[in-house]
Amino acid sequence: MSELARWLAAAVVLAAVPFFLGEYHNDVYRKMLLWVALALGYNFLFGISGQVAFSHFAFYGIGAYSIVILLFQVGLPLPVAILAGVALCALLALAVAIPSTRLEGFYLALATLAFAQLFVVVLNEGGRVTGGTGGLMDYRLPEIFGVRITGPWYTTVIVAVLLGTYAILARLDRSWFGRACRAIRDNPEAAAAMGVNVARTKVIAFTVTSVLAGLAGMAYAFVDNTVNPPIFGLENAFLLLFMVIVGGSGRPAGAVIGAVLLYLLPFVLSPLIGHHHALVFGLLLVGAMLVQPRGLIGVYDALRRRAA
Amino acid sequence: MQDFLELAVSASASGCVYGLVALAYLLMIRPTAIINFAVGEWAMVGAFGGFLLLTRAEWPYPVGMAAVLLAMLAVGWATERIAVRPLVERGAPLLAPILALLGMLVVFRESISLAFGPDPHPVPYPFGFGRLELGPLAGSYQSFFIIATTLVVFAGVWLFFERTVAGKAFEAVAINRRAAALMGINLARVTALSFAGGGAAAGLAGLLVSPNISAHYLMGVPLAIQGFTALVIGGVGRVEGALLGGLVLAFAEQLTVRYAPVPAGYAQGVPLVLLMLFLLVRPTGLLRAREARA
Repeated sequence: MSELARWLAAAVVLAAVPFFLGEYHNDVYRKMLLWVALALGYNFLFGISGQVAFSHFAFYGIGAYSIVILLFQVGLPLPVAILAGVALCALLALAVAIPSTRLEGFYLALATLAFAQLFVVVLNEGGRVTGGTGGLMDYRLPEIFGVRITGPWYTTVIVAVLLGTYAILARLDRSWFGRACRAIRDNPEAAAAMGVNVARTKVIAFTVTSVLAGLAGMAYAFVDNTVNPPIFGLENAFLLLFMVIVGGSGRPAGAVIGAVLLYLLPFVLSPLIGHHHALVFGLLLVGAMLVQPRGLIGVYDALRRRAA
Repeated sequence: MQDFLELAVSASASGCVYGLVALAYLLMIRPTAIINFAVGEWAMVGAFGGFLLLTRAEWPYPVGMAAVLLAMLAVGWATERIAVRPLVERGAPLLAPILALLGMLVVFRESISLAFGPDPHPVPYPFGFGRLELGPLAGSYQSFFIIATTLVVFAGVWLFFERTVAGKAFEAVAINRRAAALMGINLARVTALSFAGGGAAAGLAGLLVSPNISAHYLMGVPLAIQGFTALVIGGVGRVEGALLGGLVLAFAEQLTVRYAPVPAGYAQGVPLVLLMLFLLVRPTGLLRAREARA
């Protein structure tokens, strides 16, 4: 099968699923697809480029809030609003990334954590623009050529966002740029000695993944037709990190497994332990670090090697 | 002026709490370079220890406080055993124990929330609720108690590092791990002790602040951020820096709330903005680390 045919098959299968699901399961399904898209981007940022940033989920929120504000308060048409939202995410990402590339290891994590928390403070205090603690609601996706995309058809849009994210990241990963990112993650001095521009590569990786998170956030804004501050807090930023580590950082398949597993786990666990599924996430993370730092995909590799 | 002096006492008390959390970070970062973001949860565990022993069991305050501190030494030591030592022994990259400790953060928080539920739990004041006036300075009993306790702790830690052989061993490990190991210093013991000490310092911070804000399972992360900001402001090199950083942060916060023309909610942003500014502009903090002496 050619490359293109495989992509089309994946798109058709993923987009066909919601037509066989009820409204509730469709909602679960498309939020899962958004988590997978986020985890893929975070895998590139954390797993492949080695940047421990807690801002990824904040950019998801920046995308979601900016599209709503640009459409319904500024009054831009949809395509212009999307472009303006992307530009805003890119500018903010550059503003964070250019000074932060000097920070090593976990200091970057804390600077981006401060940025993410500051975003939530601004959302809460933003008054009419951000809707304060209640967020923004009561809006609908504008009509495109007189058609309003709803229900399972909107899930198709999310499938397109997911596959687009995957295509861009897979392309980058297999290119010179992806190898430069891995080299910097493993040894920045050696990478610099090989002629890799360390600072520029880091900034580009941060900006590209943050913009992709922003795009996913724009798609999210019309899933529930409401955006509010608690969703974009630290909880979910941590969850994203846990997904990538538990699945297996540095491998797209690991990110997909981690995202699907940790997203669906609470649905399975809630009859057993109520709202305390985060306890299981914490135990999974500690267990992964201690037993198999390459995550579930590493476990799978080890099993297959033993079978062979 | 009266207004400002009143604010100075309460800001100094919050600054001392931030300073203790920063001290907890510093005790672990200096010898191991590990940033343990779970210190906020340790503070929370200390606060819940206070609730259990002082509120529920009604132990006398000094006994309960000593028991909480001992328990926190054990919690710090156990955390190191579970989440740090296996990774260090395996020679894992520095990030591995930091991430494992993030997992421990969630484990601590969810265990407490599972055991005590989501409501805040009261912790008593050691000297009751009252107001003390010392010349022009006036504030609550608790403010003065926090300041006095913190000064004693910092004086003790300073003496430990400057005057004892064990403290010199800590410094030696901080300056050069490899050379210190070659000189016969037991790295594993220094690491275990630094985590135990970090647990006690963070637990004390939680216990001291808990009468004012109540023990609550979500109190950890804000304290962890404020403590880390204090550490970055003061610089990781010197013990005094942690206290100085805490005081600078607390004054910045309270002066913003009182005098700056911004909505009160933005005061939560003060530590965040200071953290980013210091990380980016002056990552060594206000106090420079002392050079190794020949």
